[in-house]
Amino acid sequence: MKEKNLHKLSAFPKNKLGKISGYDNEHLKMPNKIIEMGLLPETSFRILYQAPFNGPMYVEFGEEKSRIALREEEGDFIIVEELI
Amino acid sequence: MQENKKKQVLLVGNPNVGKSTVFNALCNKKQKTGNYAGVTVASHSGHYRYRNEEVEVVDLPGSYSLYPSSEDEAIFSKFLLDHQKDYAGVIYILEALSLKRGLLLFQQIQDLGIPMILVINQIDQAERRGITIDFQKFSESLGIKIIKTNAKEQMGIDEIKEAVLANNFVKTDKASFQTPDEHKDFIQKIAAHKGLDNEYKAWMSLSLGTDSVRTGALARQVNEPDSKSLVPKRLQVQETVRRYQNVDKILSDVITKKPQFKELLTEKLDKVLVHKFWGYVVFMMILLLIFQSVFFLAEYPMNWIDDAFAWLSAFTGEHLPEGPLNSLISDGIIPGLGGIIIFAPQIGILLYFLYLLEDSGYMARVVFLMDRILRPFGLNGKSIVPLVSGTACAIPAVISTRNIENLKERLLTILVTPFMTCSARLPVYSIIIGLIISDKTFLGVQYKALVLMGMYLLGFFVALLSAAILNKFIKSKGKTYLVMDLPTYKKPLFGYDLKMVLGKVWDFITGAGKIIFIVSIIIWFLSYFGPKQKPDQWVATNVELDHSYLAKIGKGIEPVIAPLGYDWKMGVGILTSFVAREVFVGTMSTLYSLDDDAPEMKVIDKMRHDVKPNGEKVFNFATGVSVLLFYAFAMQCISTLAVVYRETKSWKWTAFQVAMMTGLAYFVSMFAYQILK
Repeated sequence: MKEKNLHKLSAFPKNKLGKISGYDNEHLKMPNKIIEMGLLPETSFRILYQAPFNGPMYVEFGEEKSRIALREEEGDFIIVEELI
Repeated sequence: MQENKKKQVLLVGNPNVGKSTVFNALCNKKQKTGNYAGVTVASHSGHYRYRNEEVEVVDLPGSYSLYPSSEDEAIFSKFLLDHQKDYAGVIYILEALSLKRGLLLFQQIQDLGIPMILVINQIDQAERRGITIDFQKFSESLGIKIIKTNAKEQMGIDEIKEAVLANNFVKTDKASFQTPDEHKDFIQKIAAHKGLDNEYKAWMSLSLGTDSVRTGALARQVNEPDSKSLVPKRLQVQETVRRYQNVDKILSDVITKKPQFKELLTEKLDKVLVHKFWGYVVFMMILLLIFQSVFFLAEYPMNWIDDAFAWLSAFTGEHLPEGPLNSLISDGIIPGLGGIIIFAPQIGILLYFLYLLEDSGYMARVVFLMDRILRPFGLNGKSIVPLVSGTACAIPAVISTRNIENLKERLLTILVTPFMTCSARLPVYSIIIGLIISDKTFLGVQYKALVLMGMYLLGFFVALLSAAILNKFIKSKGKTYLVMDLPTYKKPLFGYDLKMVLGKVWDFITGAGKIIFIVSIIIWFLSYFGPKQKPDQWVATNVELDHSYLAKIGKGIEPVIAPLGYDWKMGVGILTSFVAREVFVGTMSTLYSLDDDAPEMKVIDKMRHDVKPNGEKVFNFATGVSVLLFYAFAMQCISTLAVVYRETKSWKWTAFQVAMMTGLAYFVSMFAYQILK
């Protein structure tokens, strides 16, 4: 799995353009809302901000530049890769 | 057209798409819109008449999907799925800036075979951001006519009404979601077994479940051997992903975008508003600004109201015939009402600020900022909205917890929100602080203002502290998470919000006014009559206050309240304010105006000079502090209790809240009085 430089969303650097490649094996525990809000595979995104003390992440994503707030715990479910 | 039955239509869409604005434009009804997921917390309904047809519009809470993850979404799904036969159709609102997300729910409803009218709102914003939508193509690929609106400017509203009148609700036959092949057989068996005309309904009977027990039972009913892979949640995910693929295909043909598109305002604002440091500074500044305005801006109208009621009281006192009725009206009811109405400006200013903040989209940012801070207390970032609105009134605050997905976090928020200093406590605090705190200033700030601010902080800290304690004892139900849309900032509807606020303030005045009026009269009766003093009497009339039924009741409860430092009159005041806290002021006004020793004195001065039998002042520092603490903590509001019961659906938790808050109030007040006396 490591060859394509995959990260968890929660460990992805700020302000870098990335792409969602899939979900963690535990994704059935992931809140459905993540998918319903449009954080789907192939979606590009950027983590713009994070609240202090490992607070929620502010993620801008998709063609429509939607913005979503999610915690690191939710970010752990999402596997992403860097886009250059 | 002699049809008596009203046509019912449902307004449906994602949160923050301007659904409520459309609702208001349609119905012109007093109802609040907001740019924070969760403002439209209940399903409101309104009416309009168009060309002799009476239409009822039900505004359902916004949702992203038919599969609910919070209470407000559950209300939405239940309504849509249960009431299918009653309504004429759904008016579905899409926001031009987030078509993709909106089409998910749109297609789900379409696949259920529910007739719909499609409305796309805020086209102007999309255009401004360089997005062009080919409506012709869009309409063809969705199989439905599109009505374009800008609800804030009333554009397209008549077209909606026209479409409703002509019953232009469209039902499409071709489902946009095809049952995956591996489940097709099973789903068709279920459809046949249940007599469903629609494959998606059969699919939903599987996927809507929260566990696999029901799935297993269904599988046995239709003799399906392999149901292991049918975890409802997996089905939901499968469906959502497929639908989004479908939506992507549709949109790629419909939308053209200019290459350099930048969403300037929201991006610029968020650089500061969600900043690690400045974000919190701005939030604190906003709160300070609000409270500053509540206390200083409100001073002018409050003085006018005070003068007006003083004049009215003097006028009635002079012109009504002498007697007990005169004193009841001019010294009891009028000052009692005045004591409440004087707080209308403060409540109005507070509410207005809260409405503007919600409307603009800022509240979602506050949730983002506060989530990490509130989590150690067992609360969610979303709890900040109920906590802040609790400073106006706990009733809407408790209702606004519905978008907190985790049941434990929601329950904790409901249990502690009434500790926040609501506006009904203000009249009580003002009177008591006026009686026990001196007019001196500290570094230019009045002691009184400092104490009042202290009471607000006290409420907030006790709310957090009790949440932290309860967090240890309440078992967690389900996983806690925060997945929240951060909407684009929108210019608040200043005029419209003002109208809403005035409506709410009027509700407050009339609501409190009625209670105070009734309580004043009951108190007057109980104090005018007393136990018979001569054997041939049935009751004694026009008795001295000390010999009245009221005194009898008050003295009956005296042993309970004596350790807190209260005399029987304050006991009556506290007893009556279990209906609502602000009643205390009305009760005190009535009680003290009935005392005829010095009729020319103002009620507040009578209170100041009242002494206990032992010569001690009734309202001395120790009792004053004791009363302040009692009102800070005790659960004295019937309306809040009713709402808590409705939201928790549990007598146990409602009773627990009363016992916890009132018990805490009793012991803290007693402790404070015993130390200070």
